[in-house]
Amino acid sequence: MKPFLAAGGGDLVARLEPAEAGILGLLIDQLEQLLTADPDDVGDDPVVERLFPDGHRSDPEMAADYRDLTEASLRSGKADDLAMVRASLPAEGGEVRLDSDQAGAWLRTSNDLRLALGTRLGIDEDTEPPDDVADETDQQLAVYYWLTALQGSLVDALVASRSGRT
Amino acid sequence: MAGPLAPTWTPETTSEERSDLDRPWVTIVWNDPVNLMTYVTFVLQELFGYDEATATSLMLQVHHDGKAVVSSGPRERMEHDTSRLHAYGLWASYQRDA
Repeated sequence: MKPFLAAGGGDLVARLEPAEAGILGLLIDQLEQLLTADPDDVGDDPVVERLFPDGHRSDPEMAADYRDLTEASLRSGKADDLAMVRASLPAEGGEVRLDSDQAGAWLRTSNDLRLALGTRLGIDEDTEPPDDVADETDQQLAVYYWLTALQGSLVDALVASRSGRT
Repeated sequence: MAGPLAPTWTPETTSEERSDLDRPWVTIVWNDPVNLMTYVTFVLQELFGYDEATATSLMLQVHHDGKAVVSSGPRERMEHDTSRLHAYGLWASYQRDA
């Protein structure tokens, strides 16, 4: 991977290896399945709970009102982001070039993917990247840290392109 | 101004009710082991228009104290702010100011 950098014209550009583009495509598919699944089946999935948290922590009635008010639009926003990321992801790897709308979609989706993986893996403040990849958990941790690097470069490039604007 | 719809009496408000009504609602961001510090700072600037110094100091408060109040105002606006933060995956909630 060549991380995201601010290119001319306000675009942000990165380059993905074919295997990286493949993994990202797979993760996007999995997130989409989770988001479009019947809420009765996945309602108490910790990843779903993390992506759609309670709006109010101590008043269940208020939390339910908040959910009625906001969850549908949160879900459709995530679906729109996923579609935009998929459309701008080169399936075989190569250059990723994003305008500012696409960059927003990549930013939120890469964060959702990190939240999903981080929740599954039980990431906490002390978790470290794996030294070598011995089992499936190490593999998923390696993917998590790869996503962290990708998203981190996207944030830095957005900050750089914004400070260049002013 | 007096008019046909003007109340003829003013309901009495106890001081307790008054302070409850005056207490604004707040939106809180909670610490989370996944969200990047740079990302949290960026989102606070993006959503609330904070300058970099203010957004960074709120982010550090979240990181070190476990939470920070990022906006305050009427309940409806705090619900809206919470949902905008949820759209970015920040761990947020709203409540009446303590």
